[in-house]
Amino acid sequence: MADEPTLTGSPHSAHTRAGQRGLLPFLLALWKANLAAALEFRVAFISQTLGMILNDGVYFVVWILFFDRFPTVRGWGLTDMFLVFGISASAFGLAGLLFGNAFNLGDIIVRGRLDYYLSLPRPVLLHVLTSRVTPSGLGDFLYGFLSYFASGQFTPAGLGRFVVAVILAMIVFVAFLVLIQSLAFWLGTGGAFTGLAINAIITFALYPITLFERGAKLILFLVIPAAFMGAVPAGFVRAFDWGTIGLMALGACGFLAFGAGLFQLGLRRYESGSAIQTEV
Amino acid sequence: MRKHWTIFKIGLVNSLAYPAELIMRSGMILIFMWVFFQLWRVTFASSGSETINGLSLRDTMWYLLLAETLELGRPRLARTISDQVKDGSIAYILNKPYHFLLYQFSNGLGESLPRMASLFLLGAGLVWSMAGPPPPLANWPLAFLALAFAWILHFCVNCLIGLAAFIAEEVAPFEWIYQKLVFILGGMLIPLDFYPAWLQTIARSLPFAYMMYGPARLFVRPDPVLTGQIYLGQAIWLLVLTGILILAFHRGMRRLAINGG
Repeated sequence: MADEPTLTGSPHSAHTRAGQRGLLPFLLALWKANLAAALEFRVAFISQTLGMILNDGVYFVVWILFFDRFPTVRGWGLTDMFLVFGISASAFGLAGLLFGNAFNLGDIIVRGRLDYYLSLPRPVLLHVLTSRVTPSGLGDFLYGFLSYFASGQFTPAGLGRFVVAVILAMIVFVAFLVLIQSLAFWLGTGGAFTGLAINAIITFALYPITLFERGAKLILFLVIPAAFMGAVPAGFVRAFDWGTIGLMALGACGFLAFGAGLFQLGLRRYESGSAIQTEV
Repeated sequence: MRKHWTIFKIGLVNSLAYPAELIMRSGMILIFMWVFFQLWRVTFASSGSETINGLSLRDTMWYLLLAETLELGRPRLARTISDQVKDGSIAYILNKPYHFLLYQFSNGLGESLPRMASLFLLGAGLVWSMAGPPPPLANWPLAFLALAFAWILHFCVNCLIGLAAFIAEEVAPFEWIYQKLVFILGGMLIPLDFYPAWLQTIARSLPFAYMMYGPARLFVRPDPVLTGQIYLGQAIWLLVLTGILILAFHRGMRRLAINGG
């Protein structure tokens, strides 16, 4: 490829600059179209949303039972679990709603379906990620707020902090998914590895961080950033602290840079069989 | 019978075709077992006792290993069947000289067995190194027989959820909620023995306990009374769920409309 596509767009022509100028309206239009497409199957959309809220609620009963029997785990109690679960669920749901293709980026790369995005004057990575909505994401997103309200920590300022925490956690999560799935450029496959990575970050985020020793904690900050999806934002929701929000912002920017950088690097190796494909 | 054996073998070969993928997918049991060990190690330490309600840390870990093996290794038939119903590909199976449900059973079993074996072996290595050696060999036949019945119970419920696509546009929520009921009332994440008595009574009167708790509990601490209760419960729920499944399948077939091909 003579003209390498960049993270923020393909430098093919003036279209790119025009595209970047209208990035926000483009994203809004894409999200609106995605939502309209999802709502075409209204019953399925509503049943998936309600079903996911119920699913999350039923799952949380496990923790209620656990903390009823064993009230604290190294100082970690049910309130902490409500907060962690709330942030993780909302961040996971928001990622599915806004960046639905983050969950199958590896598959798109392996099947050569990036051709479509490369041919358009829009930022490739952003365009791919935002081209799909996961309907059940709305259920997760809403459940997160319910979990926050149920934690007994609700205050108007706390709600503001919760929203900030969810957005930063979502950025870390999406960036981690991009990072992991960009490996598909080199490995040529990635389905099983992606599943493993998603399971790892979600599992670690949803368990009390006090369970883990120093070495494991380091992994949860630097390798599988589950701490940025659970324990760290939960601390920030409890009480405002510049250090914590700085750490969260650093984590979000760092993983975003790594994820986007690796995707960009992988794009140089990208090949496809020029298969005729239809994007719907 | 021979044709279903052949379908089983095809499922088996399909599952074994990509061993690296199989092992990678099984790798998630390592994450779960490691996290479970951290949780229960701290919990047992803070309880100040070697055992909680008759189970030691080692028992709890081997219990969880068997439960996770079944949960992660069973086939996700609900989604497969509902897709077949929705996109009409069910027609291609129905016109073949085998029974639809037996086809799903044979194929699902063939795909599931290597996955379960891989999950169990990987997980067992880790659990052994963290929590200690496995339960006595005498427990294994009892547990694995109950595991086979539990697999069939899961199969019945999964098929029922998949066949619900004849009347519902989206069956995924049923599948999620069923899975969570197995988590809680099946004792998948916390052994039922640790629950309050009233909840144990409710759980034991529902099928979920026989789908997960039964085999996992027989694996670590079997006793004659419990063994009898679990096998009896499994037999009753097998009869009930198989009956409902056959009924639902015939009802579904009556609703099926195939337009050309």
